[in-house]
Amino acid sequence: MEAKDYKSSLKPIWCPGCGDFGVVQGIYRALAAIGRPPHEIAFISGIGCSSRIPGYTTAYGFNSVHGRSLPIAQGVKLSNPELLVLCAGGDGDGFSIGGGHVPHAVRRNMDLTYIVMDNQVYGLTKGQLSPTSPRGLKTITSPYGSLEDPINPLLYVLAYGCGFVAQATPADMPGMAAVIEEAIRYPGFSFVNIQSPCVTYGEDEQQLTEHKKMMKPLKSLGHDQTDQLRAMDLARAYGKELYTGVFYKNPNPPPTYEAMVKLRQAEQAKGARPRERVLDMYLQK
Amino acid sequence: MVHDLVFGMAGSGGDGVVSAGESLLGAAAAEGYHALMTKSFGSQIRGGESSCRVRLAIEPVLNPGGVLDVAVALNWEDFFRFGAELPLGPNTVLIYEEKAGAPPETLAKMGAVPTEIIAVPVTEMAKKAAGTDKAKTSIILGVLSGWFAIPLDSIVKGLKKKFGEKAPEIFAANERALASGVEFAKTHPLKNPRTLAKVEGKKTQKLLCDGNDMCAAGALFAGVEFFSGYPITPSTEVMQILSRELWKYGGAVLQCEDEIAGIGAALGASFAGRKSMTASSGPGISLKSEIMGLATIAELPLVILNVQRGGPSTGLPTKPEQGDLFQAAFSAHGDVLRPILAPTTVADTFKVTIDAFNIAEEYQTPVIILSDQEIAQRKEAVDPIDTSRFELKKRLVPTGADLDNYNRFKLTESGVSPISHPGLEKGNYLGAGIEHNEHGDPTVSGTMHAKMNDKRFKKLDPLRKRKDLFEVVGNPKATTALVSWGGSAGVCREAVALAKAQGLDVKLLIPTLVYPVAEQVYLEFFQGVQTGLVVELSHQGQLYRIVRMFVDVPKGVVPFCRSGANPFQPAEIVSRLRELR
Amino acid sequence: MGTTPLDISKLTLVQALDLAVLIEEEARDRYEELADQLSLHHTPEAAAFFKKMVGIEEKHRQALADRRKKAFGDQKRTVTRDLLFDVEAPDYDEARVFMSVHEALRASLRSEEKAHAFFADALGHVKDPEVRHLFEELKAEEAQHQTLVKAELAKLPAESKVNPLDYSDDPVGED
Repeated sequence: MEAKDYKSSLKPIWCPGCGDFGVVQGIYRALAAIGRPPHEIAFISGIGCSSRIPGYTTAYGFNSVHGRSLPIAQGVKLSNPELLVLCAGGDGDGFSIGGGHVPHAVRRNMDLTYIVMDNQVYGLTKGQLSPTSPRGLKTITSPYGSLEDPINPLLYVLAYGCGFVAQATPADMPGMAAVIEEAIRYPGFSFVNIQSPCVTYGEDEQQLTEHKKMMKPLKSLGHDQTDQLRAMDLARAYGKELYTGVFYKNPNPPPTYEAMVKLRQAEQAKGARPRERVLDMYLQK
Repeated sequence: MVHDLVFGMAGSGGDGVVSAGESLLGAAAAEGYHALMTKSFGSQIRGGESSCRVRLAIEPVLNPGGVLDVAVALNWEDFFRFGAELPLGPNTVLIYEEKAGAPPETLAKMGAVPTEIIAVPVTEMAKKAAGTDKAKTSIILGVLSGWFAIPLDSIVKGLKKKFGEKAPEIFAANERALASGVEFAKTHPLKNPRTLAKVEGKKTQKLLCDGNDMCAAGALFAGVEFFSGYPITPSTEVMQILSRELWKYGGAVLQCEDEIAGIGAALGASFAGRKSMTASSGPGISLKSEIMGLATIAELPLVILNVQRGGPSTGLPTKPEQGDLFQAAFSAHGDVLRPILAPTTVADTFKVTIDAFNIAEEYQTPVIILSDQEIAQRKEAVDPIDTSRFELKKRLVPTGADLDNYNRFKLTESGVSPISHPGLEKGNYLGAGIEHNEHGDPTVSGTMHAKMNDKRFKKLDPLRKRKDLFEVVGNPKATTALVSWGGSAGVCREAVALAKAQGLDVKLLIPTLVYPVAEQVYLEFFQGVQTGLVVELSHQGQLYRIVRMFVDVPKGVVPFCRSGANPFQPAEIVSRLRELR
Repeated sequence: MGTTPLDISKLTLVQALDLAVLIEEEARDRYEELADQLSLHHTPEAAAFFKKMVGIEEKHRQALADRRKKAFGDQKRTVTRDLLFDVEAPDYDEARVFMSVHEALRASLRSEEKAHAFFADALGHVKDPEVRHLFEELKAEEAQHQTLVKAELAKLPAESKVNPLDYSDDPVGED
């Protein structure tokens, strides 16, 4: 399998220069490295510029509704645990309208990978404040500056015990692709926050050329990725520093939800009545 | 000798009247009676007031009955709190706990005062016989058995099952209390004795269950593989039963973080090729609306159960209402048509659930089952159901040539196009909430959008012609008509029989398929009809109004509707019909 | 294989040649993508320029592919595109809606510089003399390409100072 095998013929509608072009490349690369054929991959997204991404792959895609990619993806994974399930969306999709689903996806720990393309702004609705917009940001809905602190996506998932947490930027394609690959290979819920700039509504200092200067690969800082507390400490710098790479990877991944489901099904199987006798469970004895 | 007896009991939660009702129901079912029981509670989790109605009959019964034949008040305050749910008449035998004192004046104000009002020193007898006042309901059961000839053996058997194994001494105490109740009945005969006739012939073993039980069983029979939902009264029991059962069949249940995730995960499962289902009640359905629309445009099968309760908002969570029909039909943005099926009885819920799965799978659409709190939570003794008469439908999946340059949303003659699922080679496609072309690629073309809307509507056309989704009861030539759906239709069936007994020729149309409106079925039914009622438990009369959107309803056919909580009684429907003439 | 970058120091000649082919192929495909993006976003002049670059990169690729075939015939290829990341392909970040031909040319120039830097850097690791020879040659070519692009740039009429965004419609909201 090569990266091009994962690229669909659909032409992206993203603005020229959008960070998401790089992200989807990184995803092709990671998928090629893993080598599962496209029909064994289900790629679920919500709504937003970045949520168009499944359509640009040859996988089975589901470009669903705003904020609901995680519940849908979990239904898919539980129904067919053999599938490689990817989930993606923007910061608004994942941490605003869909924010309530994130902790539950984390604590259920199904083996799926959640990629957030974080650009600190609502792009598809034309540049409003997003949950990761920095305090003070002036947008069309905050003309005098935002009055609230941003969500910290990294700290958010770390707090709920996410077993794999990483950050990447398309400014570093090899690094990003490697992190996505590692996330997919992690046997449990994995989260990758990708700083994917909005070329139309984003700030100049958030563009990829700036990322190249700002980024600090955690590996080069000697970060121990099994150190959860240190990971949280580093994650606090979200919005100030652009750390890339793996913040935290659980060295002893617990069994996944779907693995336990399989056990439960096996345990209970002997109790099954033939379906045509199912009403017998209510027989008056 | 009577063939039909309606009991009503009320007390505080600690008295256990509901559990006494269950004993009565179980004993009757074991003796081959048709029996049903409804419960009603205050909103306290435990220790609030509670009541139950139990109806026992020789012939099948379809509703909890009207005026009580026998009323039991363990204290007056709780009894009167249930007001119209426990209606008294001159022929009611009213039994009350002596300790509660003589009936208060409230009784007189209620109009029809029972002629037979009897005080039973329930607490005192319980203490004496069982050594505890907790055995009050066993005293009551004994008294009822003595006066109305409810077979004592079966009551004893039931209690033995309940207490016998764990606590033989408690069972023995209750048995003594029962005997003491029977003795009381013997020494205090009724002025106007009434005993329940015995069931003749072979006693068939009955199923003891409620509508939610039937829905869960129907889903299992239909082959449900995935359920996800969020707890909400009065539908939660479906999730509870499936949480116990579904694993056995290799399926899974996911209790989600909210209503939206509840339907989202179920839709994901359907996308992955599983028969799947979610359940809720009005407030939850409101939250699920957006994803219901997604299921429509992505053409994914999904069964959605709504056990209706009183609304809007939190409304009356523990009472029935048929106020969610508009929501089921119309809570969508854009042009949406989704089939709505309504069960009319507990037993019917089994069949309707199977129908819902079949329609969902065959037509690749969300289907709503509109049950209500009354049907969903009333326990009934029903005859076993022959499951061999049900067929199961499967999704149309792509094969061979379909998979060469596969078009997921191919515009076909029927409007149904083969659906692939992740894992199938060459079946890859993009499912989406955004409008798409035949291949599944997003589009903003108005022409394509119109074609796809047309496809999504057209594929459901055959439903309106399905004879098995409509039932006409009574003489098809009658000029007086009833139309009713859901739980109210069960009451109307009895009203038709009652009217006939009184010399009034009435026919009744029951649409199991409530929406889309089958114009032709209504037009044929209304032929020659001069007067009639559309009977439903909602303030607006929602079916009446929806039917009028599509059909010229005869002028003489008018809505008979009221807000929820108090289901209709056959007698009031018949008397309303008489007023029309 | 994997998303891990390539170990240049261990390349054989056939691998190096294949890599060179793939670098041109990657550049060709990227120009194609950028041309598509810009024509979808109504920026026809820059799109046309990128389209032209598609032809040029394809020519380079073909020449290298012929050379590889002549030297090694159908010998199995052991390197893949997945080992490369934007060597001569312009970064996605280079494209902008309504970009001028000047900007497009400058983007192209930066890509040639990037490629040049890649070979220069690679030469620091490569030991095999034949591979070194090839990379020296390719590095020189990239330098020559830079000269060509610069010449093209010089031929263009003076760049307009107008910002096209000042005249364009506002972006459209969707979804």
